[in-house]
Amino acid sequence: MDLTKEQKIRLYTNLVRVRKLDETMVKALLTGKISTFFHSGEGQEAVGVGACSFLREDDYLFPSHRGHAISKTLIKGLPARIILAEHYGRITGCCDGVSGFHTCDMKLGIPGMSGTLGGHFPLAVGMGLAAQLRGKKQVVMVIEGEGTYARGTFHESMIMAATWKLPNLFIVENNQIMGNTPVKIIHPKDDFADLGFGYGVPAKVVDGQDVFAVHKEVQTAIDRARADEGPSLIECKTYRIQPHAVGLPDTLLGRPRTQEEIEVWRKRDPIKLAQKRLLKEGVLTQVDIEKIDGGAANEMEEADRLAWADPMPTDPKEILKKALYAE
Amino acid sequence: MREVRFIQAINEALLEEMKRDETVFIFGECVRGGTFPHTNGLFEKFGKDRVLDTSISENAIAGAAVGAALAGYRPIAELMFSDFFLIAGDEICNKAAKWRFTHGMKLKMPIVYMASTGGYIRSDSEHSQSVESLIMHTPGLRIAIPTTPYDAKGLLKTAIRDDDPVVYLYHKLLLTKKGEIPDEEYTIPFGLADVKKEGKDVTVVAVGFMVDLSLGVANKLQERGISVEVIDPRTLEPFDIDTIVTSVKKTKRVVIVDEDTLRCGVTGEIGMQIMEKAFDYLDAPIQRVAAANCPIPAGWYLEEHVLPQPPDIAAAILKVLGKDMDISDMKKEKVGFDAVKAFGDLGITKVKQN
Repeated sequence: MDLTKEQKIRLYTNLVRVRKLDETMVKALLTGKISTFFHSGEGQEAVGVGACSFLREDDYLFPSHRGHAISKTLIKGLPARIILAEHYGRITGCCDGVSGFHTCDMKLGIPGMSGTLGGHFPLAVGMGLAAQLRGKKQVVMVIEGEGTYARGTFHESMIMAATWKLPNLFIVENNQIMGNTPVKIIHPKDDFADLGFGYGVPAKVVDGQDVFAVHKEVQTAIDRARADEGPSLIECKTYRIQPHAVGLPDTLLGRPRTQEEIEVWRKRDPIKLAQKRLLKEGVLTQVDIEKIDGGAANEMEEADRLAWADPMPTDPKEILKKALYAE
Repeated sequence: MREVRFIQAINEALLEEMKRDETVFIFGECVRGGTFPHTNGLFEKFGKDRVLDTSISENAIAGAAVGAALAGYRPIAELMFSDFFLIAGDEICNKAAKWRFTHGMKLKMPIVYMASTGGYIRSDSEHSQSVESLIMHTPGLRIAIPTTPYDAKGLLKTAIRDDDPVVYLYHKLLLTKKGEIPDEEYTIPFGLADVKKEGKDVTVVAVGFMVDLSLGVANKLQERGISVEVIDPRTLEPFDIDTIVTSVKKTKRVVIVDEDTLRCGVTGEIGMQIMEKAFDYLDAPIQRVAAANCPIPAGWYLEEHVLPQPPDIAAAILKVLGKDMDISDMKKEKVGFDAVKAFGDLGITKVKQN
């Protein structure tokens, strides 16, 4: 089904919101407000935004660590202030400041973030099983970087999801670099989508810079899952613009990354591509674009100001007393 | 009261809890009818939605349990052999154990991971291990190890109702053991040790199958005038140190017996807790009996030299008492495991289709 004008504007606006939050978080890291690290997802926004913009609130989502998941969690409904407050160790964070960057909100269907990469697959299958038992047509989406699809957990989970026709979506956010290693030297094929064939799971490759293309393929897979037709695999080809983590040397195989490749991909920036299309279609004007940009900037500025002013826990030891078991 | 076998007690607990709460379901390798037939009959009763056979996928089984728990269900993941917990280390020791804390203590993780444990079956180093030290070591996991049909049923029902992840281990050699259970509903609270035999000369704290070996030794020593108290902690987390301290105040002497390795095994942890809580009451250094720091061999002539044996337990008791006595009548456990013989006469292996 074709997107309405409002839906197109929503996708575009979400791209801009994610970019502004990413920039806010880079700034927060460089000014010492984030005490650990930040893995910027600049240039990869279209994958999360395209996949998550029209999920139901009761759908489940396991997001990848890139960009600390903001291109998925912000879009699923987790406010920027809550995400930032969690990073700042504030009690207003989604995990009371305990998790740092592993954001989670079960009310929004975001069950948490795995420290071990590829750790989400089996959990997602378990949620798929629960969703199937409950019978309310919920879907369970996993969006992971391509590096994690080498994990054995993926194989085991695909067997389970395909055998039981679970409402799972596996989305490969292929940014082509695993840490500091080009993925082409550690993976035997060009397309991760090929992995679907062996399990009999429908798989597609899509341009991960094109938010509309991502949305279209993901929506088809969501419709299949809601119709009890089982899991799908979608590979979104994208590219990591920033180093693995902001501030780290930007190297590949121990040598500086060539700027030429980065520049090629910058020309295919997802915001620029969407802008061009929507201007051409007459969906947006230059004035609208500036308004959306200003609105997103204000949203993130305010979120950051409020989150930073939020209180810290008064007694950390009290938190640890409740650490192990449910009350 | 009526007499049942250990395996029937497990089966009854599963049946009753699945009937009581429809969010409880069980899945794993061969749960419709498996190597250890404690899940037999459940499929016929509850159907394919709640009794699910899986492929050989320990990561997916253990991890899917986490996912299902997060989504509001109470999964029971059957892993067949506790050795396989090592395969699913990330799912059990990182996800199930830690995610509640990691995400701000707002999640619930009502999971039971169940598997057989222990050796004396000549089945090699990857089907004979006791993993209680690994589980007790991991913050966020509870662990129950029953030694009687009564405990097997009561502890499993508590495990299923618990809102935190519980590792439930059944020893292969205990599955056919008979014992009495009440006709009416009961559960056994976690963190409550059971004094399996009262005595006044020495306290033996024994874990799992070691309770049975220790009781055998204790009964033989009783005839020689030595009164041994045998305490079964039943759960290692939560751990009931108070019952042990009370016993130590009476006997002044302690032997700790466990089937896991001596090095970094639970005997070290329990011993140290006694030192911290009851040092002034001890009249002799604590003695420990546990497995040698060695892989468990499948070779029939080797296993008995690695796993704890009744003569070792008797020797430790005599040592802590400062006595010398002939214990040549204490026999080593060389039973092996014969599934056909063990399960052949179990009623639950013959469930009618309906």
